[in-house]
Amino acid sequence: MADTMGHSAAATTRNTSVVIAFCLLAVAPQIFEFIWSIGTIFGWGVGRGPATVVIGHATALVAGAPGALLGALSGDTKKTSSDVLLALIYSYPLFAVAILTIFMTIRSAQDYVGGIVLMALALFALWASSDLQGMRGFSFGAGTAPRMFGGLLVALGAGIALTGLLTDGPAMAHYAWRGPLFVMISIVFFALAIRPLGVVVTAFASFLISAMGTHETRWVEAIIVGACLTLGCALLFPYVLGLPMPMFPRFLVQ
Amino acid sequence: MFDLFHNLGLGFGVVFQISWWSPWWLYGLSLPISINILMCLIGALVGTLVGVLPGIGTVATVAMLLPITFGLPPVGALIMLAGIYYGAQYGGSTTSILVNIPGEATSVVTAIDGHAMAKQGRAGPALAIAAIGSFFAGCVATVLIAVLGAPLTKLALAFGPAEYFSLMVLGLIFAVVLAKGSVLKAIAMIVFGLLLSMVGSDIETGASRMAFNIPELADGLGFATVAMGVFGFAEIIRNLDAGAEMNRDLVQQKITGLMPTRKDLIDSAPAILRGTVLGSILGILPGGGAVIASFASYTLEKKIAKDPSRFGRGAIEGVAAPESANNAAAQTSFIPLLTLGIPPNAVMALMVGAMTIHGIVPGPQVMQKQPELVWGMIASMWIGNLMLIIINLPLVGIWVRLLRVPYRLMFPSIVIFCAIGIYSVNNAPVDVVLAGVFGLVGYWLIKHDFEPAPLLLGMVLGPLMEENLRRALLISRGDWTVFLTRPLSAVLLAIAAFLLVLTVLPFLRTKRDEVFTESES
Repeated sequence: MADTMGHSAAATTRNTSVVIAFCLLAVAPQIFEFIWSIGTIFGWGVGRGPATVVIGHATALVAGAPGALLGALSGDTKKTSSDVLLALIYSYPLFAVAILTIFMTIRSAQDYVGGIVLMALALFALWASSDLQGMRGFSFGAGTAPRMFGGLLVALGAGIALTGLLTDGPAMAHYAWRGPLFVMISIVFFALAIRPLGVVVTAFASFLISAMGTHETRWVEAIIVGACLTLGCALLFPYVLGLPMPMFPRFLVQ
Repeated sequence: MFDLFHNLGLGFGVVFQISWWSPWWLYGLSLPISINILMCLIGALVGTLVGVLPGIGTVATVAMLLPITFGLPPVGALIMLAGIYYGAQYGGSTTSILVNIPGEATSVVTAIDGHAMAKQGRAGPALAIAAIGSFFAGCVATVLIAVLGAPLTKLALAFGPAEYFSLMVLGLIFAVVLAKGSVLKAIAMIVFGLLLSMVGSDIETGASRMAFNIPELADGLGFATVAMGVFGFAEIIRNLDAGAEMNRDLVQQKITGLMPTRKDLIDSAPAILRGTVLGSILGILPGGGAVIASFASYTLEKKIAKDPSRFGRGAIEGVAAPESANNAAAQTSFIPLLTLGIPPNAVMALMVGAMTIHGIVPGPQVMQKQPELVWGMIASMWIGNLMLIIINLPLVGIWVRLLRVPYRLMFPSIVIFCAIGIYSVNNAPVDVVLAGVFGLVGYWLIKHDFEPAPLLLGMVLGPLMEENLRRALLISRGDWTVFLTRPLSAVLLAIAAFLLVLTVLPFLRTKRDEVFTESES
């Protein structure tokens, strides 16, 4: 009995963090576009500036979407902007899920969260394909299949979430941060550096960065193996396999 | 029958094709070499190597080595990739027996009795029986592919779009039924894969779908990119948080006497036979393929044994049957790919990727238009198996030494190798980042107990399914009943529905779980 009591107590404390996570997920595309738009200040990439992004999404979330909803109810078929559609298709359903989550007892967080995130992905896909042409007569438009499978995935995600509510199962697994972080840094560094710096420098540096992913790394050993591997790759890919790629830093070659 | 010999003869002719190699350092002299034999050998060796090393699965390796085959002629490339696949089945058994770490999912059950045998000082016979069983299974499977290839191709040519669509639905349902874990989750993964396959421009209208005006996404998500992310990077990240230093209780004593005794041979012969039959059947079915075959054959052996308590304590049948089964299944899973153009599992899905890169559209027409490709590959499998049995047994010592390479050195090497590999596919740095992102996605999927293999299958079949669905509905003028009114299609869909109902029934669900829990008991 004591065990089940402890379980339910843990579940309620978990719930709030899950709810907060879902709310964040519900505005994740907006936040992502905001971060992306900061780059446009410095002239990287194309897109809207940060100010327009914030204003556009804020009005869509607060006023635009309810207005469009009312308009649709009264039979007004004015074209809605993509921000409003994002709020309608993606954010609102997830906010609704987050609110519902407050009142639920989650019996398997692994399944519940997994299902909801899949649902979010499917909703996002539905939004992304909302501007595509649908059925024309009996021939498929470009958007028909994505919408079909998107709808199916929403249903399946909901089903998985439901099993997380109805049956007992494992709680959320533990995530480590060190491995994923350094492996990702290493990958991103590789992608950024391969063109300007060439295989030799990039591969060696990436090797050492990803080696930081575990605390067991011994540096002398890692440097020796890294050097050998770099040499091997520098011979294998461009020479043996004949795949063209830059070998040395651009500024050294010129 | 004559056709069969003719075709196999053609295949062996392709494999043994001699070309003259005159490198500059021989000053005009030429050496006769056979590129395809060489590819077969390299593939088999690399496959064994990968099978031995725990931490990188077959799918990740085939994905990793895809770029390597770009410079090769199509036949050589496919022969090499096939070699990696069945080589890995061999290598996996070696580590299972000697170290109790299955290098591959397919040899998980081999570890139970194989390692018990090794502890009793009978590692040699266990390895030998595993190799003999695999070789026998490989031979049978090669003949089976040759026999079934032509008739199935004829059948496939009679298929219209509606039949193709239904067949693919059946294939995906099989993948769900034979996959491990929740049916709902597996279906969700397939649909997720289907959605991912739709990123990029639409085949018919050319409209850009879900690409957000990002030029790199306009061509769609690269198949190798996603595979490498979900299977390669995700595996590495997952292994890292499990603690890089894995527990390895290596059997230290020297392996003496490879030859199994007379009794061993008599005991294992029927087990090998049963394993081969079961593996061949399960391999053709889409889905788990080699993995389910090894589990199922182990369960079968245990069920029909006179004294089931011997299992787990070094019963030689427990090594012979699953090893034959997984090898047979690994090879027969080529049948749906070569005849129907439908990949039955994730590795075959990668083979589709390899074929498309070389400009070959997999399907029944390949067997007719490029017979030397198909039959060359089939013949190479037999030769590859022969090579494996000759090479592997003497090399066991080297493979075991490789196991001592610590994971802390292995994982950065794999990361770099994968990164260079992905970059070289399109010379696109964005692909590398995308693979990294899919690595995180894969890590998340593992944490939530989703299987990544159905996702990959969905992603490969996505474009094919959509195309056939569209075509079928266009021909029938929007009439959805076409899938039920055409007899072949209706039968296929009925089987799919029947299978799905079966898995949901409680009785079969427990049976299905039983097969997979064997290794944990």
